[in-house]
Amino acid sequence: MNCTDYDWKAYALGELGGKDREQAEAHANSCRACREELAGLRLTLDALSTLREEEAPRRIAFVSDKVFEPRWWQRIWSPTFAGACVIALAVVVHALVEPVRVDRQVDAAVAKAVLQIEARYAAQNQNLEADNDLLKKENNRMYMEKTGLSHQ
Amino acid sequence: MIFREVEDRDLIAKARRGDVEAYNLLVSRWERRVFNYLLRLIGHREDAMDVSQEVFLKAYQNLPKLDDAAKFSSWLFRIAHNEAFSLLRRRRPEGDFLAEPVSRAAEGRLLPLELSLAVEGALNRLSSDQREAVLLKVYQGFKFEEMAEILECPVSTVKSRLYTALELLKTALSPALLRGES
Repeated sequence: MNCTDYDWKAYALGELGGKDREQAEAHANSCRACREELAGLRLTLDALSTLREEEAPRRIAFVSDKVFEPRWWQRIWSPTFAGACVIALAVVVHALVEPVRVDRQVDAAVAKAVLQIEARYAAQNQNLEADNDLLKKENNRMYMEKTGLSHQ
Repeated sequence: MIFREVEDRDLIAKARRGDVEAYNLLVSRWERRVFNYLLRLIGHREDAMDVSQEVFLKAYQNLPKLDDAAKFSSWLFRIAHNEAFSLLRRRRPEGDFLAEPVSRAAEGRLLPLELSLAVEGALNRLSSDQREAVLLKVYQGFKFEEMAEILECPVSTVKSRLYTALELLKTALSPALLRGES
């Protein structure tokens, strides 16, 4: 491998590992130009490391910040709670809707029964009227026979 | 480091369930790193502080969208990157964001004790993209792949920005380094 095949910046930045790192080190031991290249990079990185981290002027506070507190529904919301809500809703809907449905069924049954009863009474009336007509005719016939009158 | 990652994952899980205390702890762990990244990128303490606050607020609000808790750090820095560049675009629509370096100590003859000031000046003379690449790699220790996720660009772009920046820094700091060695 030639000198240009080695990525000394990746090496100095700790990005080479395993076999690549070993090969680069073996080459640097035998190549003055690459050693100097590496030394220059290390010197630059050492200089960069002199820049110290600074403390933040103030802490980033969250505990007292209302914006970060979960809303009331986020506090209580969970899959179990969601399931319970669905069941409760179903019970409430059932309780509200079911009586209406039953009332409608009762009304329909009563109406049907009334119709049936009225039809039965109507049929009985017709029979009674027919019987009454027969009795009238029979009475007329008997009266004619007793009085000797012919209906002609 | 592995232990720390596990702890972060636990805190993230609790924060997702609305545990503000868990999120507070998470903030306390990351606020210094995020603040320093933003400070070097934006170059203004109060703005960096305000943006840090915004970053942690957005992170909290978007925590349910984080697919992999192990990637919290790169996810958090992507939010920081977006917020910082949003501010920088508003501040200066075109061109370099820090045209005026905080320090000019790197120019001309330098004293060894001024090295950190020279570094600050040299960083500020980089383009914002180059400076950010140095901040994420050298100061925050992200891998190339993580940087690509944060910056939403290919690894080749990350390397190109970073390598160019290192060459520029090497040139800019050589007087200070030579003076320091002598």
